[in-house]
Amino acid sequence: MKTGKQAKPLIAAKLATALMALVFVTGCATPPPESDPEAVAEWEQVNDPLEPMNRVVFDFNNTLDTYALRPVAEGYRDLIPAFGRERIHDFLQNLHAPLIFANDLLQGEGDRAVQTFFRAAFNTTFGVLGLIDIASAAGIPLHEEDFGQTLAVWGIGEGPYLVLPLFGPSNPRDGFGLAVESYADPVGIGLSNVGYAEANWGRSALDGLDRRTAMLESLDDVKRTSLDFYASLRSLYRQHRAAEISNGGDQTPFSAHPSSETAPR
Amino acid sequence: MISRRSLLSTGFGLLAGLAAAPVSPVQAQVETDPAAFVTHLANGAMQAMVAKGLSDQERATRFRTLFTTDVDLVEIGRRVLGRYWRIATPEQQQEFLRLFEDVVVLTWSTRFKDYGGDLRHTISGVIDDGERGVTVSSRVERERQAPISLQWRLKRVDGGFRVIDLVIEGTSMAVTFQSEYASVIRANGDRIEGLLSALRAKLAELHP
Repeated sequence: MKTGKQAKPLIAAKLATALMALVFVTGCATPPPESDPEAVAEWEQVNDPLEPMNRVVFDFNNTLDTYALRPVAEGYRDLIPAFGRERIHDFLQNLHAPLIFANDLLQGEGDRAVQTFFRAAFNTTFGVLGLIDIASAAGIPLHEEDFGQTLAVWGIGEGPYLVLPLFGPSNPRDGFGLAVESYADPVGIGLSNVGYAEANWGRSALDGLDRRTAMLESLDDVKRTSLDFYASLRSLYRQHRAAEISNGGDQTPFSAHPSSETAPR
Repeated sequence: MISRRSLLSTGFGLLAGLAAAPVSPVQAQVETDPAAFVTHLANGAMQAMVAKGLSDQERATRFRTLFTTDVDLVEIGRRVLGRYWRIATPEQQQEFLRLFEDVVVLTWSTRFKDYGGDLRHTISGVIDDGERGVTVSSRVERERQAPISLQWRLKRVDGGFRVIDLVIEGTSMAVTFQSEYASVIRANGDRIEGLLSALRAKLAELHP
């Protein structure tokens, strides 16, 4: 249990150092000259000054995905019947509830916090420890929240687009949110306290598998049909993130501007 | 499984029958009511997506018809090219629109192809911005999977509406294409020809 807790900052530090080294090796993208305002606007919208480094990490992730993650997700889907996968998904999702609840509160979203609370209460009891998401069926829909979104609501900017090794599309704010959550997740803390820190690693791995499996078709589809997989995912991620932060509220509609990727508030 | 399939095909048969019959009230509604327009279009698209026993070519043909009648692909293509549209020669513009249509048709006609289940589309809201157009929100419910939220951006034209963007789970089709294509053009030294040849290569790869 101690090793688990000590290993994390070490990994995080090594990762940060490796990323810094990569920036030096690959350099930054060259911004367009100021004499071309439209190009400058586009550059700002894309928000990817570290593109050369990001592409290197992206290629690494892509290779890892092609030869390891995706095949495992496919195997999981073929091996475990849909019913079983749904129970696992619902169980994992229910374990997210404390984290979502905390973020609802931190964002001052009282109604959503109440929703999350009652979802967890129903699912943990009548839903047999969360194995069956009966709350959704009963009309209390699920919503996701994470600490990166909370920071955004608090007015912290996303920073430049950043592709993290293994975790994929992100930015400094959301990456920081991810790191905080790995320490502050109530379920993780609970597991550590009772001496099952390793179980939490297993849970994270299963979580990743569950998410990757859910994206099998859509990601295959983007990869197959896009001209520039990297650029497509960058745009999809940033737009999706902005929508998540505004909780599905109204986004800036596609306007006459040359580029209108909605930037998070 | 079997009973569900047959039930499903009966449903589609009914839908197809409805569409084919000369029902003028429905047609009139589609022309004046944005929700009816989107429902009609979504049903047509989902039918083309999940219908069994269609060849890839037939599927593509159905989508091309939908895209050229109910979707304003020329306007979308123009916006997708953004600032590069003005730099492009008329020949390049024409070729881009042609290639873009092909890519969109091929992308959509193979999506959900292997999905055997039922799709249900329901309208959840309409925001009428008058001159600026109409946004229709809807959701697609799938079996055993989370529903997908959609926003259809429509513009008014003579005799009804045309789609000028589709926003899926917060991601706009037009914005995504635009961002990707701009990246391809930049990577090719700001040359539109670079995008056109990449599109040609992708089409050759996608064609069955």
